[in-house]
Amino acid sequence: MQTKKNPAPVDVVIIGAGAGGATAAKVLTEAGLTVVGLERGPWLKPEHASGDELKYLNRNFIWQDPKLKPRTYRANDQEEAVITNFSATPQVVGGGTTHWGGMVPRMTASDFKLRSLHGDVPGASLVDWPITYDELEPYYTRVEWEFGTSGLAGANRWEGRRSRGYPTKPSPLSQIGRTFATGMDKLGHSSFPMPQGMVTEPYRGRKPFSENGFWQQYPDPGTGKSSTLISFIPDAINTGLYDLRSDCYVSEILVGTNGRATGVRYQDENGYEWVQEAKAVIVAGGGIETPRLLLMSKSAQFPDGLANSSGQVGKNATFHQYSFSVGLFDRDLRDPLYGWSGHYMSGCSFDFYETDESRGHILGSLIFPSMLGHPVNWSFPGRPTWGSAAKDADRELFNHSMKIGILLHDLPVESNRVDLDPTVTDAWGLPVARITHTPHSNDYAQERWQVQKNGEILQAAGASKVVPVNMERITGNTSHELGTTRMGNDPSTSVVDRWCRTHDVPNLYVFDASFFPTATGINPALTIMANTWRCADRILQVDRHTWS
Amino acid sequence: MGQAEWVTVPISTRDVEGPIFFSQEEWDTVEAATARIIPTDHHPGAREAKVVRFIDRMLAGTQFVFPAADGIGWLRMEGREEQAWQERIALRQSLYSSGVKELDDIAVDRFGQRFVGLEGDQQDAVLETISGRPKPTPFSFDAPDDDGLGGAPAGNQPVNEDFLDFFPLLVLNTRQGFYADPVYGGNENRIGWAVIGFDGPPTLKSTMDGSYTTKKYMLPDAEWPYERHPEVLRYRRP
Repeated sequence: MQTKKNPAPVDVVIIGAGAGGATAAKVLTEAGLTVVGLERGPWLKPEHASGDELKYLNRNFIWQDPKLKPRTYRANDQEEAVITNFSATPQVVGGGTTHWGGMVPRMTASDFKLRSLHGDVPGASLVDWPITYDELEPYYTRVEWEFGTSGLAGANRWEGRRSRGYPTKPSPLSQIGRTFATGMDKLGHSSFPMPQGMVTEPYRGRKPFSENGFWQQYPDPGTGKSSTLISFIPDAINTGLYDLRSDCYVSEILVGTNGRATGVRYQDENGYEWVQEAKAVIVAGGGIETPRLLLMSKSAQFPDGLANSSGQVGKNATFHQYSFSVGLFDRDLRDPLYGWSGHYMSGCSFDFYETDESRGHILGSLIFPSMLGHPVNWSFPGRPTWGSAAKDADRELFNHSMKIGILLHDLPVESNRVDLDPTVTDAWGLPVARITHTPHSNDYAQERWQVQKNGEILQAAGASKVVPVNMERITGNTSHELGTTRMGNDPSTSVVDRWCRTHDVPNLYVFDASFFPTATGINPALTIMANTWRCADRILQVDRHTWS
Repeated sequence: MGQAEWVTVPISTRDVEGPIFFSQEEWDTVEAATARIIPTDHHPGAREAKVVRFIDRMLAGTQFVFPAADGIGWLRMEGREEQAWQERIALRQSLYSSGVKELDDIAVDRFGQRFVGLEGDQQDAVLETISGRPKPTPFSFDAPDDDGLGGAPAGNQPVNEDFLDFFPLLVLNTRQGFYADPVYGGNENRIGWAVIGFDGPPTLKSTMDGSYTTKKYMLPDAEWPYERHPEVLRYRRP
């Protein structure tokens, strides 16, 4: 079917154009390397975005269509996996940074050494990161300034040493942020402005965010929300060295007889198949699609999938389940909260982040308040669904409701994993990712304790009723996919080294959140970008000189 | 052609007054059912919001799946994405066709005439039968936690409509038609938003050009608790 000549070889081919892939493209092309980017999804522009709840949330305009790109889930090996839309994440140019809420807190220093702090936790595969906070710090700062962020530096007293503040000030308080801060204060706890991937003042030609309220899950029609689509990708394109091809689906990473990656095989939007040769291959498809691609890339040399001599590809998957308490406020007692104004979250706290074993569990997460949703998807457990009771509940509570959420700092468990489904295929006929996952008992303990605590905060803030929303299982509702090609120094127990280079294939790299050795209790995008920059610097300083 | 290149067709869900997919009888029945799901009281309900038009356009075909970003016209879907939506819409069409028939069958069986001819209480009884559950009771701050009748939990992800039976699909679509942007054919004159106090955008375009802002509902002058803290002052921006 292929009659045309394959495209010319380049220095590096990068699979995916999200947080990791686009950062790598910027750093490498600005240093003079030639890069081809292959993104499975479309190259939508800011002018494709607007405040349309049904289009973006219910009709999957940027999330994968589960009919075309299904995934399957089962709790354990004994169960039959069922089709589900696990971890809806934009498969578009810009990736998760297009729909995200833009939460960009830094990891704490303790996040890098959980094994040292907690020892051998039964049932978990807890490890230390092979890098430290101090190694990452200069790159955190670089990304915060290059990418565009806002925050109040110094306000997070759990944060490690910081070499510089934020480039723009925190966004204004919302009523929800103030209510949260009030409840926290009453209980003797602290809160501070959520560090955000947005600019709140004119910054490097960008206008501050529009405050149209369509924030979480919506791409931005302007330049206020920071995404790689409007920042790092244009930077890379401007070098003239980044050839970004959208709607191009990579089905295999190719390896030569010398055991080195030679390029990738992909299909363009018209169904034509091509081979793109490169001196090095970077995978950045996300913590589900990356292990899937490695496992699909079987060969005589790598019969169990590429870079999988450890057998660890796909394992130790963590997903940051989002749980929360809903607070319902009496309109006779309280002014409206207007949760849909501004942006999704306003304020956060790290008071429960560090381990306190008196709680009956280890680890913790940041907590943050937010609205319950725009009108179509606004809901809470127990909401009457139809009739006058439903209309009354909507009318009385839509503007008198909020939630305080947690981002579960879930423990890595080796048997929690992503592999290839034996029967279900996607619209391209390729096996889909199957998720096998049962939370560790510490996950449940941590989650139940924190949801309860969040309810107490809501009560202190004046809520007349609190409804806990606890996880029954992992659903991928944060779009955070972590740990599936874990980073470590030992090739027998990890997939990539401290530079995110695979142990098995010396010119193959993983630059998305798959490398996270442990989950952390914060949003991963800032760390993905900072770590990508760190590893891309290593490529420029060392690795590139070894490529033939 | 990829999604980014889909062209905009200058059509509107309001080009035609009546049904496109439904027969007139189906239209009337669905309209009556939506009017029990979000009833009219001292505020407008599903009937005034033209929710039935929203549902009809959803079922009419792939021309009304994705509006253009500014709300002027609709994206002409192509390729695999369109095929997936054709299958999805076909499934919903059959659910609605058989569901409407079932509403009438139950109505005739219990009350001797079709659904649209029944009194409100009788229609509610039919909906209770088809839902298999009692009609939801009013929300109360004092009610025990397990009193609820099963609203979807709030979360980051919407309910996946692909796996719903007729009645929960009808309830969800009624909600969508009441609260989605008017471009989809419902929420006439944005009355759904007015009922609940959502000061939403006058047009989709106004969310793109910055003319719609929610700023007045925020607290621009409020100081953050740590604003004057020495540690914060240490990082004063240049």
